[in-house]
Amino acid sequence: MKRKCPPLLLVIFWLVIGIPAVVASQETTSPPAEDRAKGLTLVEADVCEQMEGTTPVNPAVVFSSNLDKIYCFSSFDPVPGEMDIYHEWYRKDKLRAKIKLTLKPPRWSTFSSMRIRKSDAGPWRVDITDGAGQVLKTLRFSVTE
Amino acid sequence: MENFLLFFSSIRWQDIVDIILNSYILFRLYVLFRGTHVFRVLIGIALLWFSQRVAVALGLILTSWAIQGITAAAALIIIVVFRNEIRSVLQAKNLKAILWGVPHRTSKTQVEIIVETAFELAAKKIGAIMVFPGLDDLDELIQGGIRWDGIVSREMIKSIFWHDNPVHDGAVIVEGTRIKKVGAVLPLSRRDDLPSRYGTRHRAAVGLAEMTDAMVLVVSEETGTVALAKGSEIRTVRTRDALAEALEEHAGSMKGQWGYKKKEKRELAIAALASLVLITAVWFSFTRGQESLVAFDIPVEYVNRNPATEIVDTSVNTVHVGLSGSGTLIKSIRPDQVKVRLDLSKAVVGRNAYVITSEDISLPPGVVLRKVRPSAVEVAIDVPGEKTLPIQVDWVGKLRKDLILTNAKVLPAKTKIKGGKSILKSLSTIYTEKVRLDQIEKSGSLKVNLALDPATLKIAPGSKESFTVDYFVQKRSSLSPQEQKVTARQ
Repeated sequence: MKRKCPPLLLVIFWLVIGIPAVVASQETTSPPAEDRAKGLTLVEADVCEQMEGTTPVNPAVVFSSNLDKIYCFSSFDPVPGEMDIYHEWYRKDKLRAKIKLTLKPPRWSTFSSMRIRKSDAGPWRVDITDGAGQVLKTLRFSVTE
Repeated sequence: MENFLLFFSSIRWQDIVDIILNSYILFRLYVLFRGTHVFRVLIGIALLWFSQRVAVALGLILTSWAIQGITAAAALIIIVVFRNEIRSVLQAKNLKAILWGVPHRTSKTQVEIIVETAFELAAKKIGAIMVFPGLDDLDELIQGGIRWDGIVSREMIKSIFWHDNPVHDGAVIVEGTRIKKVGAVLPLSRRDDLPSRYGTRHRAAVGLAEMTDAMVLVVSEETGTVALAKGSEIRTVRTRDALAEALEEHAGSMKGQWGYKKKEKRELAIAALASLVLITAVWFSFTRGQESLVAFDIPVEYVNRNPATEIVDTSVNTVHVGLSGSGTLIKSIRPDQVKVRLDLSKAVVGRNAYVITSEDISLPPGVVLRKVRPSAVEVAIDVPGEKTLPIQVDWVGKLRKDLILTNAKVLPAKTKIKGGKSILKSLSTIYTEKVRLDQIEKSGSLKVNLALDPATLKIAPGSKESFTVDYFVQKRSSLSPQEQKVTARQ
């Protein structure tokens, strides 16, 4: 004689086995960051004194600390899908800020800024990285008196 | 009384050995060199040294410097001038003779024969000159001469100095019971205070006597007198007994053998005691003088490091070491006599802390360690490695307000750096030395070197030491951003 499974047990079975399987299938459907970054091309990157709309003003490698802010501009074409990139600001190899920026297809320009003071004088760099942490470009500059 | 006992209880067995050993060395030097010119000059140098100490104590600056110079030169001169005597003491004798034996002067001469013959020659006014060597070597001073090696006898001496004998004008060298040489030419004295009655023979006798410890007997052809020259003195000897006594004394054999030995034993005992007292006094002045303090900055030496690792950083390079000891010891101590050595055999990669103990510090004997500052040292050990790093220009100063430095390229853009792996791991850029902007007016290029920080970093062998920076300058203008962008890229 066959015994019937009680409905409550089926619900518990579904909750324990079924939900993680669904979640896992969702994760696999979303491509990893490096795959998403495939096809992403950085066409322009500058550190500049100002931004006028989406255009960098006075791109340079030396900035006076009298400037209130400096900007890191980056432009991508194409952008294969919506994704995040990072502007990592370093002063003498020490990370000062990691700014997340979202790109949208088909092309996108974006920028981050850094407030500078007299005490920030010295060599700086900005690493533009994709979501996987791969460095797309390094911009080097100095902040002086 | 308590202090007295405390003082003696502080003396170690090594101190007693130290005093006895040095006293014996001093005593042996006396025994080996006594009666020679070397000994007399050594006493002279000792007196000079004592005078110099007195001059220093009295604050006579110039005098003390002058005496110090003379003493230093004298020590050098003694080695050069008396090299033969020193050699004869140190080389010609066996080890036992140097360490233990008591050298006697030349053995007994045929004193009576010589005395009789000398006065016989004097009576007949036959000139003669006889040399009785002491401990000094005469070979370099005596010229010519014929080897004779005959037993001393009245007839032989008379025949040698007989007028018709070809060698009668020269001197005979008498050693022990034998005439070693005849017809020898002696160096003449240059003194001008000798009496005019003295001829060449007397001058030769004085010449040799003043240069050596030899005794020279002269029989005058003119006056028929007998004279003896010893040291810088020459004196007429009128009686046989006086001559015999002088010759015996020179030969080290007074008439009474027992009396002489007793006298010699007494002399040696006094010398031994004097050596002991002198060395004890010197030892006390060195080790038990007034307590003094001194401090030095001593570089720390790191030893027994694993060859596969390297020291990349230390918290200190020198430590301040405070020492105490007797005034004399402290005054004579030099920083290079103090060593601070840390054993890195158990060091691991990373930072290692060491407490400096007295075992890590080597000091001259008798000096006591009082303090070390800092008492602990931190040593960073790393495994050497290489890394290729991009080079970035470190701009400083002020760029003219109307200019923009749009770009700068370093050639080559990367270089290989050598250093500790953990340091290299934390580095992603290597910077140039500071480059000033103040003089820049237009685009150009310049040569720069790297600023390696920390200093343990090195440019890897085969990599360039200096780099070219091509920089591009643009005037600020009222151009639109798009136009500026185009210009900057050009």
